[in-house]
Amino acid sequence: MNRRSFIKKTALTTAGALAAPYILPSGRLFAPTGSRSAQHVVLVMFAGGVRHQESIDQLYLEGSQVIDPYPGNIMYNLLTGDAPTMKIAYGTGEGGINPIPMLDYYTTHGSLQSQGTLFSEVRAFSSGHFGGLNSIVQGADIVGQGLKQRPLNPTIFEYLRRHGGYSATDVWFVGNGIDGSVPLLNYSANPEYGIKYGANFFAPTVTFSEIGQDKFSNAKIYHPENELAPMYALKAFLDNTFAQYGGALDAIGNTEEEKQLIKTFMNEMYTKVADGTFLRPPVFDNGDAITVGFAAELLKYFKPAFTCVNLNNVDVCHSNFTSYVKALHRADHSVAFLWDIIQNDPELAGNTDIILIPECGRNAQPNSILDANQWAAYDHSDENSLRIWSLMAGPSFPQNTVVGSEGNQIGKVSDAMLTAARILGVKDEVLGAGYIEGGTYSFIDLL
Amino acid sequence: MNSEKKNLISLVPTSPTCETKSDQTTIAALAALSAIAVCISSCKKEQVGVFELTEVPLVSTAAEKDKLKTNQQFVSILYTNLFQSAISGSDVFELDQLFQSVGDSEVAKEVLISNFFNESNVQLPTVAEMNADLEAFIVETYKRFFVRLPNEAEKAWVRNFIQSNPYMTPELVYFSFALSNEYQFY
Repeated sequence: MNRRSFIKKTALTTAGALAAPYILPSGRLFAPTGSRSAQHVVLVMFAGGVRHQESIDQLYLEGSQVIDPYPGNIMYNLLTGDAPTMKIAYGTGEGGINPIPMLDYYTTHGSLQSQGTLFSEVRAFSSGHFGGLNSIVQGADIVGQGLKQRPLNPTIFEYLRRHGGYSATDVWFVGNGIDGSVPLLNYSANPEYGIKYGANFFAPTVTFSEIGQDKFSNAKIYHPENELAPMYALKAFLDNTFAQYGGALDAIGNTEEEKQLIKTFMNEMYTKVADGTFLRPPVFDNGDAITVGFAAELLKYFKPAFTCVNLNNVDVCHSNFTSYVKALHRADHSVAFLWDIIQNDPELAGNTDIILIPECGRNAQPNSILDANQWAAYDHSDENSLRIWSLMAGPSFPQNTVVGSEGNQIGKVSDAMLTAARILGVKDEVLGAGYIEGGTYSFIDLL
Repeated sequence: MNSEKKNLISLVPTSPTCETKSDQTTIAALAALSAIAVCISSCKKEQVGVFELTEVPLVSTAAEKDKLKTNQQFVSILYTNLFQSAISGSDVFELDQLFQSVGDSEVAKEVLISNFFNESNVQLPTVAEMNADLEAFIVETYKRFFVRLPNEAEKAWVRNFIQSNPYMTPELVYFSFALSNEYQFY
């Protein structure tokens, strides 16, 4: 090859590479403009209404229960601070007198707070659950967003799939159940986004329950080439014929391979449930713990780019404060377990960021309901219920850093979503779409 | 005809107590006139009406299907199509919950259908029965799942497809139809 020929071919190749757009599976033409600071993000909606006082302020019973004014940190895996010494009722056994021990990982590595960054005084948009969850996944405070209604604006799942080119099994939402319109959060009603960019979703406490075991666990196994391929081919013909009449059905868009992966995962889970071998925290006596256990299974199996997990058990605080502190203690235990699993997975460790954020807090003043300990219960509707926090760790965040304090609020609930978008390289596209709350920043940009 | 006359006459009082003789004559005349009128009208030639039924096809067309089945409708109809019997209300409720707990409803449906096919009482023709009269099998399958008849092009395509795919069984054909987009609508 002479010099002229070499230069010509090089120029043509370069021009071709520049001119030919990247056709990504999602249908977008160009790869996202932002770089990724981690390959995986786990967003935990630490939801159900967590009062600032029992979490960040580490007050336990002080201030909330006049008859037992004892402070302490009941979230000692996640937050740095000493556990209560008096009136222990949040643990296991009769009366909850046995605190769940700190997980080994944290005795050697320190609390998650010490491993990452805590925004200790963050502003929520909504004092309600569904509004709060929506503000997290949409990054916006949507006027007119109703219950039993899909998010009005695009969600982080759709931004990632549409602008980031992530596949359907790269983006997951793991719900704590099917109540409270939770299954509606995996994609929005926005016509520019919607189901074809939605996340895969499981509510493990239902999917892998006894009902699931009874109805879904005996699936016939078909040969992928000899049986499934012609079955799908005939279905494609039928769909094409129906499409001629204008009939179409949008779907999340798992490829046939992805569907097989999901079905195999489900079969594996049913087997593990039957055997009692599915992953779960050492103490798993509530729905949040079970949900987190299956989220850990899902993370290890699919290695998704983005996983959102929703908790809810602390909402028992409406009527029972003792059960609330128990649920909060277990939420700490369960999420800490999840991070432990991630740190022990060779593909996920060192390459995964975790972001925890409640959707709302709870009231400053109790309602009139007393539990067996004569402790007062708390609803969520006042200014105090807009006080939340966010804790994050992983390669994108500095360690042992605290930002903000009482009276110095820094950050909003919508920042969590933009933080995930920034880590996974679609922040500019999310901002450009124009749907998120004005003044929303990535927590990383607020450091 | 006689009974009609009797009825008409019986409407007139036969034993008045306070009328005059002329009144009685008038009444008798009216009765006679009525009887004559009835006789005249009854003597007309009877017209025989001929009623015919226009055949209306009860099968729908694909174009009419624009309403998406709910989860409950889908599982109820699917169960009936596969087992030729009704599903229980509690099963419908539980399956609805399961469907809500899986984000990709296509996956949930595939899992459900493949579970149904593992049950012993599913009503399926054998491969031999299918191949013995392929045309009839295709027509029956369209009627069973789509509640319509296939057009000639559809029949030809499906027939060729089944004949050219040796692993195709009635079960896989039913699977395709139950998963198809048209089956999700009504």
